[in-house]
Amino acid sequence: MKTLSSSINGGAAVKTVPVTEVDSVCPYCGVGCALTYGVDQAENRILYARGREGAPNASRLCVKGRYGFDYAMHGQRLTRPLIRLEGSYPKGPLSAGVKSSTGAVKAGGIVDYDEVIPHFREAEWDEALEFAAGRLKGIRDTHGGDALAGFGSAKCTNEEAYLFQKLVRTAFGTNNVDHCTRLCHASSVAALLEGIGSAAVTNVVRDVSNADVALLAGCNPTDNHPVAATFIKDAAAGGTKLIVINPRRPKLADYAALYLQIRSGTDVALYNAMMNVIIAEDLIDAEFIANRVAGFEELKAVVAEYTPERAAVITGVPAERIVEAARMYGSAKAALTFWGMGISQSTNGTNNARCLIALTMITGNVGRPGTGLHPLRGQNNVQGASDAGLIPMVYPDYQAVDDPEIQAKFEALWGVKLSPKKGLTVTEIMHEAQEGNIKGMYIMGENPFLSDPDTNKIRTALAALDFLVVQDIFLTETAEFADVILPASSALEKTGTYTNTDRRVQIGRPALHPPGEARQDWELICEIGTRMGYPMHYSGPSEVFDEFAAATDAYATLNYDHLGEFGKWYPCPDPETSEGERIVFDRSFPSGRAKLVPAQALDPDEMPSDDFPLLLNTGRLLEHWHTGVMTRRSEVLHALQPEPFVEIHPTDARNLGVTDGDKVSVTSRRGEIQLQVTVAERSLPGAVFIPMHFREAAANVLTNPAVDPWGKIPEFKVCAVRIARMED
Amino acid sequence: MSAENNTDNNTVTLTIDGKSVTVAQGVTLWEAAREIGIDIPVLCHSPRMRPVGVCRMCVVDIGERVLAAACVRECAEGMTVATGGAEVEGHRRVLSQLLLSDYPDHSRREATTGDDALLELARSQGIVEIPYPEEPAGEGAAADDAAARGEDDSSPVIHVDHQACILCDRCIRACDELQHNDVIGRTGKGYTTRIAFDLDNPMGQSTCVACGECMACCPTGALTDKGLAGIRVERKG
Repeated sequence: MKTLSSSINGGAAVKTVPVTEVDSVCPYCGVGCALTYGVDQAENRILYARGREGAPNASRLCVKGRYGFDYAMHGQRLTRPLIRLEGSYPKGPLSAGVKSSTGAVKAGGIVDYDEVIPHFREAEWDEALEFAAGRLKGIRDTHGGDALAGFGSAKCTNEEAYLFQKLVRTAFGTNNVDHCTRLCHASSVAALLEGIGSAAVTNVVRDVSNADVALLAGCNPTDNHPVAATFIKDAAAGGTKLIVINPRRPKLADYAALYLQIRSGTDVALYNAMMNVIIAEDLIDAEFIANRVAGFEELKAVVAEYTPERAAVITGVPAERIVEAARMYGSAKAALTFWGMGISQSTNGTNNARCLIALTMITGNVGRPGTGLHPLRGQNNVQGASDAGLIPMVYPDYQAVDDPEIQAKFEALWGVKLSPKKGLTVTEIMHEAQEGNIKGMYIMGENPFLSDPDTNKIRTALAALDFLVVQDIFLTETAEFADVILPASSALEKTGTYTNTDRRVQIGRPALHPPGEARQDWELICEIGTRMGYPMHYSGPSEVFDEFAAATDAYATLNYDHLGEFGKWYPCPDPETSEGERIVFDRSFPSGRAKLVPAQALDPDEMPSDDFPLLLNTGRLLEHWHTGVMTRRSEVLHALQPEPFVEIHPTDARNLGVTDGDKVSVTSRRGEIQLQVTVAERSLPGAVFIPMHFREAAANVLTNPAVDPWGKIPEFKVCAVRIARMED
Repeated sequence: MSAENNTDNNTVTLTIDGKSVTVAQGVTLWEAAREIGIDIPVLCHSPRMRPVGVCRMCVVDIGERVLAAACVRECAEGMTVATGGAEVEGHRRVLSQLLLSDYPDHSRREATTGDDALLELARSQGIVEIPYPEEPAGEGAAADDAAARGEDDSSPVIHVDHQACILCDRCIRACDELQHNDVIGRTGKGYTTRIAFDLDNPMGQSTCVACGECMACCPTGALTDKGLAGIRVERKG
């Protein structure tokens, strides 16, 4: 007879490992899932991750959060400071894959260390920090602070973001500090600050359960905000009607009441036409407009020109579908609007966001359960890094650098004279570097070589810098251009706060020790500042948080004790007893009335032509993170999605004579990449899609660096390309 | 005392193991018991999920002709509930033994995270012997080889051991109702019933997005973390 003991003991030999559990926050996307890591401290390794009952995720996780933590334990982590050898000047790219974006690029997707490491020597920390601080100081003293610039990172903590912008504004003496928000939601931020005086979301993702209608514009949450997507799908199952608008069919379209497949870059015409119908059919909220909105008449005059029939010609969406969407949205008692990079990464990005704001305001869909504006934040801390002031025009909490009163306030706080001049943005800094006007840079945790548009331009810009410090956890493509590389800590090795897409501030706690001699980012920023003559000394991240919070209204009431295990939403007037505000602006906006700014439909900067007949759209995949530095070093994520591809409509594939797996070259006015074809019916004929993550076929070799006039965000989502089949 | 008296405030009052408890209408017996600190054993239910009452481990005596599954039965005014007793415990014991009769000797959950709920439950019931054959009686494909339910190693993250599956449907609800990925369902009839991915594809070739929610929700050795193979986790403190 079978006995239970055999059930317990049978099977292969196992090793018993003592495990300590650490409550933390996922390092990947803006959803900010609360999770617990199971840590084998003796081996300094994470064994597993499981979801915690946090406000953003209710114990749910996605593939990256649950299985993608192993990047931090990868053998290629930088463990000692590196200084470029004299024989490796003049500076330039070092590996074949970074020297040229086409040709013999090794598969595998990470910088070839064997090619690059021999150009550097290991250094002691003291030497590396003296070298870095000394050269930056030299450039500042010779050419002035505006010859320096810094890129912080939305992957780093609020504390690190705050210290980094403080370093650049005080020790560097310039406002040339920016980060990748410029590449993701800068236009949304510009439109929101102009429209309502606040750039944060007005409502949290999970309140979608209270919405009658959710509008999902230019976003793909199942891939980019996977756990948020599960709550949106929950809502749909519970009766919320989803209106999904996207030129490339997202998975959420399967759950939608209405899916509108618009032509890339025609958003303004579509939303103007929806407003045209809503006004014509009196689906507006007249009381809300009378009490809380300014500029309705001007808006009405402009959208009157955009009949559904006219918009149908521009967008490719049949007029009756536009009317249906307008009626569905306009009749909802509560409608919540989500948007993503499809709206923001455009030369019309600010106008696109203005339209969504106006649509929300004329129907009174803000400040109540199930309503609101929710630009889905990409990085785990893009909200926080922006709040902390990693933006060239504003100090922490969006306080203008060119306002003398505010400038005086920060001069008193930081004890030095500050520049009254607005700084340059990411794309402007790269341009000025190429021109020789920016001479020195400090880049913390960003990889502009792959993340910025027009890689061939970035290559010359980075090579032109007199001095570049890169602080990162791996040797990135960008680090190939560095004079000194500082090994830093991953999110899994540090204490610090992150602010998610819902405005929820959560403490991340260290699960691992940094490898080798790698150090905490916040300490390195302070070392550079102190060695440049601006002393920066803190007992730890909690003290930095307190200084940051005191400089803001939004975070003023919060501290590490209040945040505890699960964090709080800001604003949080009473942190002792409350979780903070889920829904804001129920009575008024920070700017008083919402200002409606009408927009005219304009073409994207670059349209298809005879030479470049196809429209290229770029984006992300579920399994990867941005430039792949983390996820391509995760065994599981890499195994799931190992190779770059270009997704082509069956009609175009037929015309080009290509099929699944064929190798093609894709060429724009700026460069060429080679990759294999995936045939899929997700975009319209004439439109192709390439994910941005793969260095061996970097989408940004092709993309257009033209920027939106207000947000200065590049047009990643639309450029003209041609495709040619390559011989085997 | 009558039900009508209580309809105004939408609550019901009942007695569980001699303790009186008042709960909102619609609350299940399992939830009401939990509120007063009585843990009724479950395998198929999780507070994160819609209850389905398939494992029957949570049965309680409410004075009816048959035992009631506490996870799905709503509380009613005046109900008297016994969560233990010889009949209830005997019933659970037989269920545990039946589930264990064809359970694999090696539970990957027991061997890794150590939280195999079926084995934990059996141990708490003092079960040592399984007085049932390992293979079903009678004929048919399943009887040829009980282990023929097989394993599926095709996913890079999750090991599937169909033989350790007790068809509790937690993974199905995790996939379809928590994450809404709609990949997992059931296939087959009777003893050959299994969970299946899409139209019974190997997990690694299905539309699975590897979120791992099924693995996190599985109470047995059926869906386990491949990354922990060979590692027995011993949680400190």
